[in-house]
Amino acid sequence: MSTVTEAEPSFDRQATGSRLDWQRMLPWGLLALLMAAMLGLQSQLYIGQERTVTAIFMFVALAQAWNVIGGFTGYACFGQVVFFGIGGYATAVTMVHWHLSFWLALPLSGVGAALFGAVIGLPLLRLKGHYFAIATLGVAEGMREVVTNVPALTGGGAGITVPTVGEDATTAYLGNDGFYLLFLGIAALSLVVALVISRNRFGFALRAIHQDEDAAGAMGINTTRAKVLAFSISGMLTGLVGACYAFQQVVIFPDRLFDVELTVLMVVMVVIGGSGTVLGPLLGAVGLQYLSEYLRHSYTEAHTFILGAIIIVAVVFLPQGFVNYVREARRSGDYSLLANVRRYRL
Amino acid sequence: MRSKATATATLAAATTAALLLAACGSKGSSGDSTESGTLTLGAAMSLTGALAREGALTKEGYQLCEKKVNATGGVDVGGDKLTLDIKFQDDTSEPDVAAQLVDQFNDDGVKLILSSYGSANTQSQAAVIERNGQVMADSAGADNEIFAQGYERTFAVLSPATEYAASMIKAIDELASPKPETIAFLSADDGFSKTGAKGGMDEAEKLGYEVIPVEYFPEGSTDVSSAITHVTSDHPDVVIGTVHLEEGVAIVKQSHELGLNPQAFGETVAPPTPDFAKTLGSLAEGVLGSSQWTETTKGEDKYFGTAKDYAADIEKEYGHPADYHDAEASAACLAMVLAVEDAGSTDADDVRDSLAALDTESFFGTIKFDETGQNIYKPMSVIQVQHGKVVTVWPKESAEASLVWPGTS
Amino acid sequence: MSAFLQATVYGLLQGGLLALVAVGFSLVWGVMNVVNLAHGSFVIMGAYLGWELQVHAGIDPLLGMFAAAAVMFVLGYAIQRWLINLVVNAPIFITLLLTFGLSLLIVQGMNIIFSANYRSISTGYASTSLSMGSVRVPLGRLIAFGIAVLVTVALVALVNRTRIGLAILATGMDRGAARLMGIPARHVYSLTFGLSAALAAIAGTMVGTVDTFSPAAAGSFTLLSFVIAVLGGLGNMYGALLGGLLIGLVESWAGLYLSGTWVNAMAFLVLVVVLVVRPSGLVGRAYYAARVEV
Repeated sequence: MSTVTEAEPSFDRQATGSRLDWQRMLPWGLLALLMAAMLGLQSQLYIGQERTVTAIFMFVALAQAWNVIGGFTGYACFGQVVFFGIGGYATAVTMVHWHLSFWLALPLSGVGAALFGAVIGLPLLRLKGHYFAIATLGVAEGMREVVTNVPALTGGGAGITVPTVGEDATTAYLGNDGFYLLFLGIAALSLVVALVISRNRFGFALRAIHQDEDAAGAMGINTTRAKVLAFSISGMLTGLVGACYAFQQVVIFPDRLFDVELTVLMVVMVVIGGSGTVLGPLLGAVGLQYLSEYLRHSYTEAHTFILGAIIIVAVVFLPQGFVNYVREARRSGDYSLLANVRRYRL
Repeated sequence: MRSKATATATLAAATTAALLLAACGSKGSSGDSTESGTLTLGAAMSLTGALAREGALTKEGYQLCEKKVNATGGVDVGGDKLTLDIKFQDDTSEPDVAAQLVDQFNDDGVKLILSSYGSANTQSQAAVIERNGQVMADSAGADNEIFAQGYERTFAVLSPATEYAASMIKAIDELASPKPETIAFLSADDGFSKTGAKGGMDEAEKLGYEVIPVEYFPEGSTDVSSAITHVTSDHPDVVIGTVHLEEGVAIVKQSHELGLNPQAFGETVAPPTPDFAKTLGSLAEGVLGSSQWTETTKGEDKYFGTAKDYAADIEKEYGHPADYHDAEASAACLAMVLAVEDAGSTDADDVRDSLAALDTESFFGTIKFDETGQNIYKPMSVIQVQHGKVVTVWPKESAEASLVWPGTS
Repeated sequence: MSAFLQATVYGLLQGGLLALVAVGFSLVWGVMNVVNLAHGSFVIMGAYLGWELQVHAGIDPLLGMFAAAAVMFVLGYAIQRWLINLVVNAPIFITLLLTFGLSLLIVQGMNIIFSANYRSISTGYASTSLSMGSVRVPLGRLIAFGIAVLVTVALVALVNRTRIGLAILATGMDRGAARLMGIPARHVYSLTFGLSAALAAIAGTMVGTVDTFSPAAAGSFTLLSFVIAVLGGLGNMYGALLGGLLIGLVESWAGLYLSGTWVNAMAFLVLVVVLVVRPSGLVGRAYYAARVEV
């Protein structure tokens, strides 16, 4: 596993003073620039385009959230969507039954998802590799069934409608402009979290676990605590996205909120972009979501067919992900894609 | 080390630039795409994913409508003949995508929308339609829940979900002899099916039948054996399934396997589709079904003629017998076209008002909406599979054959 | 009581069918460490092949399944040889994504070629049933069950008693050592994948005979295979059979004693519990527990 995501060496600690500051601040500066650009972009967009870009923000946040547990820590969570569903249903249920404001329901959903992550993380994170993947998948599928089976609370298969109009509405619907900003905020938050993690002790602990968990333990890292914390953070971010999504959708259904396909998309975005980096999942999410939107508009019947072919080609030629490929290629001066193929083929 | 950081910076800068460029580029190209001389309708369709089959039929219905209307020269709006142009998009059978596409149509200046397939998709779309001030003709979202939200801009040409099972109960009550006594209900657990089951149970209780409490199973499941094992011990005279095709087939097949042998099966949605009799063969014989439309539905209109004409057109155009999913789509499109003609305008508010006031006969039967936007003025038809063919047995005025009772041999 | 017996019998038969679907998936995972997300689409493709043969050539699915298996074997061999082998040494995510792309491609391809209509391979006998006291045993499902057991036994015999089988086993345990022994890993991997696709085709033909199918069902078959393969222990053929039977029983009993909508929840609960309590699966030590990663 370790071949894809080499831990970034802690170069900023060894570097000399002026370069240290410059290199430390660069990503933050870029992030600020990106946010400013996105805010500027908003005034240029029509409603429909705004929604498309909002969907891209959503996937940026989701991909980055998965990256925390799947990319940094190396635990292939195949049930990530469970947090999305829990966040979404927590928001819908509290807004409908407790008449909470969305602004209260949102943080509650995040906390709920984080707690859920900690509770299931304790037993499940003892499992490794495929077993962890399948167990989380089982949890996600099981949760969907549970939500479907308590219609009194969740509306069951018929879905639940978040009150956004009339006197039942606890928070007015935000409109496309509002949701653009909301999802931009969530995407920014996830990027900030990923950036912070990628550069502090905790992040290095996670990478150590990814490379060799036993050795990491021997080095004095409390691996259980680090893993559960990473899982909770990842869950919280995903839960927040789910909460915003539920409010945006108004009507939500268990089939969609716990859709395995969402998990697979997160994984695809992270891996194609470059897992274990901050930039990779960002590029992967933007690129893939934009591409799939474009294909759907241009090829109404054959778009998933084409998307499948593109994923196959991308995986064969860029198995380590785009960002990792560029990094390695710059280091070695070898830009040949065939070298990638040679590396993993039998 | 430096090269790494520079790479990162270059990439990020390139992304930002690309996004900004994309944004600037699209501003010019977007906007009001409705050309003069055409009437543009937007349709988000389930062309891929779980509902692809029904989505394809719905698309046929919309396309036939486009063709028929344009064959007469187009839509007459205040003396001008506008060419009808329906823009199709794929919603991948996901409600969130269906809703997003409605937003995108709005962005392109398309205010008049034809619905996607299924209650979940339509329900999500209706919320967006309301918000954007668009208007939607709903061809396939029958769940009464959609119309309980106070929406004012969504109009369904089809009978509401509560009628699906209830119409079969009425038909059995009217035609069956000897009269059955107990009725068991099996239902998928999605909103539309549950609403249908409830409507059927209410009707059965009202008519004095003994109702065995409904058994649910997961939507889309092909193993309904435990629900059947449950009701077998109650020996129901009639088994009503509020289901979709795959569950409907499973009920008949597995009842046969497990020795549940009532006087008749009745199922929503499944039996009228040709696939039902094809997959079940002789087991399909005698199964009752409810249908939004059949070839003997009464009424005619200037574009499609009668139901018989309509069926012939579908057969000619697409090479298969007409399905009610075709018909309800064409009817939704027809309602929209007639409303535009009545309004003499393509303005969304005018079209909404004239849809609300629409009261017309058509190949689909009466099209008229109550204050919630549902078409409660048209009866559903009840069909029965007889000798491998789907024939209408109820209501009496459009019946092609008399009910064979008991339905199972 | 008779309801319990009936549910048990039906659950076991259903479980046999599920095991047949999962056994090829488990084989590929065990030998190559590849999670084949396209497995469900292979099952559906097998069902279409069986259907085509029956409708156009009048071949009974019990014979047709061998033809379908042969076709799928060739296709599977080719896919592994010229596609998956390109990335087989990469981390598991990569092969996972590759097969995900493959399944998108195949499912949408089938949608375009065969349309999304539901189909079923109709035979005279599949939906008749035998009565044993108060319990009814559906013939089609009984046949599918028998085939599942036969296939599993045959597969175990193949793997343990033939040269090619031992080559598969050896490559699965330690590819490096196997190569030193002169086993051509590329060929063996392709054979394994072809075998798995052929098994999927047999399962698909049976699914088509007793149930309905359409391209959209591919995903749920992959998911079921996942669950069953893990329950049984990866790469363990008898384990897959046992896992399938367990899932079939759990779903059937859950449907009888809880509400019918809880069946899936119960299946996943069993999965998670088994994983947490006994991660190597139900059947002892998995064949490939001794695997050496290269």
